[in-house]
Amino acid sequence: MTTPDVVGSAEKSADPTGGAGPLRLALRRLKRNRIALVFGVVFVLIVIACLLAPVYAADIAHTGPNTNHISEVITINGKATNVVSLTDLPIGPTWHSKFLLGADTNGRDVAVRLLYGGRTSLEIGLIATLITMIGASLLGILAGFFRGWTDTVISRILDLIWAYPALLLGVALGVSLAVGGLSIGPVHIAGGSNLIPALVIGVVYIPYVARPVRGEVLSLREREFVDAARILGYGRLRIMFSEILPNLSSTLLVFFALQLAQSIVLEAALSFLGAGVQAPNASWGTMLADGVQDVTASPHLTLVPGITLVLAVLAVNIFGDGLRQAFDPRARVRVER
Amino acid sequence: MRQRRTALGLGFLALALGLAACTGSSGSSSSSTGSTGSSTDKPGGTLQVVQGTAPDSLDPQFSYTTQGAEADDMVYTPLLQYAVKSGTAGTQLIPGLADALPTVSSDQKTYTLTLRSGLKYSDGTAVKASDFTHAIERACKISWGGKSFYTNYIAGAAAYDSGKASSISGIKTNDSTGQITITLTQPYGAFPNLLAFPSSAPIPSSTPMKVLSNNPPVGVGPYKFGTIVPNASYELVKNPLFAGFKIPNIPTGYVDKVEVTKNTNTNTEAQMVLNNQADIFDPGDTVPASVLNAVQTQAKDRYQTVPLASTYYFFLNTQVAPFNNLQARQAVNLATDRTALARLSSGSLAPGCHFLPPTIVGHQGGSCNGADPNAVPSSADVAKAKQMIKAAGLAGTKVTVWSETRSPRQEFCAYFNDLLNQLGFKSSLKVIQDTVYFQTIGNQSLEPQAGFADWSQDFPNPSDFYLLLSKAGIQKVNNENFGNVDDPKIESQLAKLLPVPATKLSTVASGWAALDTYVADQGYVDVYGYQTAPKFMSNRVDFTKAVFSPVYYIEYSTVELK
Repeated sequence: MTTPDVVGSAEKSADPTGGAGPLRLALRRLKRNRIALVFGVVFVLIVIACLLAPVYAADIAHTGPNTNHISEVITINGKATNVVSLTDLPIGPTWHSKFLLGADTNGRDVAVRLLYGGRTSLEIGLIATLITMIGASLLGILAGFFRGWTDTVISRILDLIWAYPALLLGVALGVSLAVGGLSIGPVHIAGGSNLIPALVIGVVYIPYVARPVRGEVLSLREREFVDAARILGYGRLRIMFSEILPNLSSTLLVFFALQLAQSIVLEAALSFLGAGVQAPNASWGTMLADGVQDVTASPHLTLVPGITLVLAVLAVNIFGDGLRQAFDPRARVRVER
Repeated sequence: MRQRRTALGLGFLALALGLAACTGSSGSSSSSTGSTGSSTDKPGGTLQVVQGTAPDSLDPQFSYTTQGAEADDMVYTPLLQYAVKSGTAGTQLIPGLADALPTVSSDQKTYTLTLRSGLKYSDGTAVKASDFTHAIERACKISWGGKSFYTNYIAGAAAYDSGKASSISGIKTNDSTGQITITLTQPYGAFPNLLAFPSSAPIPSSTPMKVLSNNPPVGVGPYKFGTIVPNASYELVKNPLFAGFKIPNIPTGYVDKVEVTKNTNTNTEAQMVLNNQADIFDPGDTVPASVLNAVQTQAKDRYQTVPLASTYYFFLNTQVAPFNNLQARQAVNLATDRTALARLSSGSLAPGCHFLPPTIVGHQGGSCNGADPNAVPSSADVAKAKQMIKAAGLAGTKVTVWSETRSPRQEFCAYFNDLLNQLGFKSSLKVIQDTVYFQTIGNQSLEPQAGFADWSQDFPNPSDFYLLLSKAGIQKVNNENFGNVDDPKIESQLAKLLPVPATKLSTVASGWAALDTYVADQGYVDVYGYQTAPKFMSNRVDFTKAVFSPVYYIEYSTVELK
């Protein structure tokens, strides 16, 4: 999560800002961080590839993510080959359109599942991060702005969640909701829905963002522009959401990127442990879980999703760190873990 | 009882228990110590067992999985039990806590046995004949999965089960003489086998009528329970009192302690035994394909596959849509690629389509409805099946396929789920933990539509398998007839076949075979094969001496450390 503070060093030596606004300033700094930009592009490419999963499945691999080909025989370089051997060993990467990255023990195309799994993992990561950011922003602003008993109640609730390791809390919630689903009033989320792990991850991470936000708000509420708003007769809600929230935007943007990486990792961990995405649906975590039994004989089953997961998380993490440095060259913002 | 067992390896435990009891060599001679008493015996030590699934329960009147029975058979010796021998010799009933095999009345409805004298539970409490009654009543009261065996045949058991009677009138006991007399409502040829269930073993009459999974009652057996960590591990500790009873042909055990630990990763499980970090690979698990070659080459002197009388199938709930439709069931049976499913089990599954497995009277190999399950390429006809579903107006019907987590069962169900979607259903998979799987799908309120099931023999009799397809097997909870099959023709055939004594089963083999063909025609279950189990041990263990019972698998009481 840390990279050399290249931008920060540059800022100290010369100020090329020339009176530009903070957003433009940040973009300029980001533009100079080549490493962050490269990884940002890598992440975008991964996202595009995953979005194109249905196209790849239908027009290139000609199979779906959950379609079994256990008894099928394919021809590779003129040789007839079982997709799955008589003793359940799947074919490895063929480097052809069919089974490009090999098959799993059910004869499912690993490349197709990788792309569909990526869609699932990214979708859950994104939704979870949105839940985290919205929840954390609301709670952080309320606690920091009102202070007093409001702060005390909110902070203690956050402490309570924080007290449990994120993974353990995620597993506990995920397992308990995986079969029966979740009902809140008229809203019911089915047990197998991807919204369950997204919700679990989103909630688990709220304290990790809400506490720094609260700290930032405690500082902002004492600033002159807030006093000015009060003098002008603005109500509390207006001050919070039209004065303080905009000043949190760069902090939240940085947190968003970093939190996205955390959410993707936690989704993979929960799915690996059976508390996230439910079989037979693919995610990078479920693919790892499916492959771990055969890691010695069929290493591609774990290497393919594992490497992709590492690459995606690394990319979004480094890009997020680049954002942090761009928006906050003095590195005030730190994600607490 | 077995299904779970299969999965269960239930048999194992049971076996082990029984073995423990029989520890003596192959159980042929009476034993006084934990072993055969031979000068070559090496008692002592701790046996490490790894298994992929924890027992559903260790309570003998509640457990109904192979993992549970493996343990209970070591702790609870029934009135009768199976000879502690490998192969078909291990299906023979011998006296357990009874001093002899039962005497049977001429009308085949009254069985009389006498308890051995001087028996004590592992806590020192004397065993009474009336404790047997308590065990049967408790199995009914806490809804053991196989309780219908009792309620269907023992006079007064059904009334007791329904709360209309305060005790089972068909069981009379005399604590002073140890005599036990059991009256049946109708002749049942396999009734002596019911007395060999761990659930039929006497337990103290003070045992409460509630499930005691984590603190099971004391029993009479070569071992007693030590530390129990629910859903993780348990210990079997040698029962010092048991050897003193000198029960013929029941081993008293070699090792001082058996430590059974759950490890859901069968790859790790197999590696541990291969590398001698654990001693026994649970026969209820499948050696993963990735390790199989190494096991076959590096451990060929301590690995073998043992055919089991067990059937693997997908249950189809005949009382709810879409499988209350004959065409839907037939279509699914027609489209199932049984050779593909055999591959998923690392080749340890022999493809088949009839419900009764090999070695069980009535089994018939070959085709079902003209389709050979062993044909390569597969005789499965997905296109025709899809047309049948469409013609029946069932395309788009939602189906939930229930599955266990462990491999290869989850892979079986992933295949089945995909198959149903190919046929036009809107199928989804629901995967739940192994330990609670059968209890969950056995809960009628959930109305499970389809899913994994298996059954290994409780006893070598076709009637054991047909409990799963008879009206008698239907229960609100702990249901065994997952498909809720309730067919008058099956019932009428069973009424003719069930009274035939086990010794005369061969005379009605054609009747059982005809019934099995009828079931295949009706597609009540989607059978896909018969399992073989691995006998796989570390090099610390005397592999040849360890008995693999056809009923309860590995008998821990015959396992000796070198």
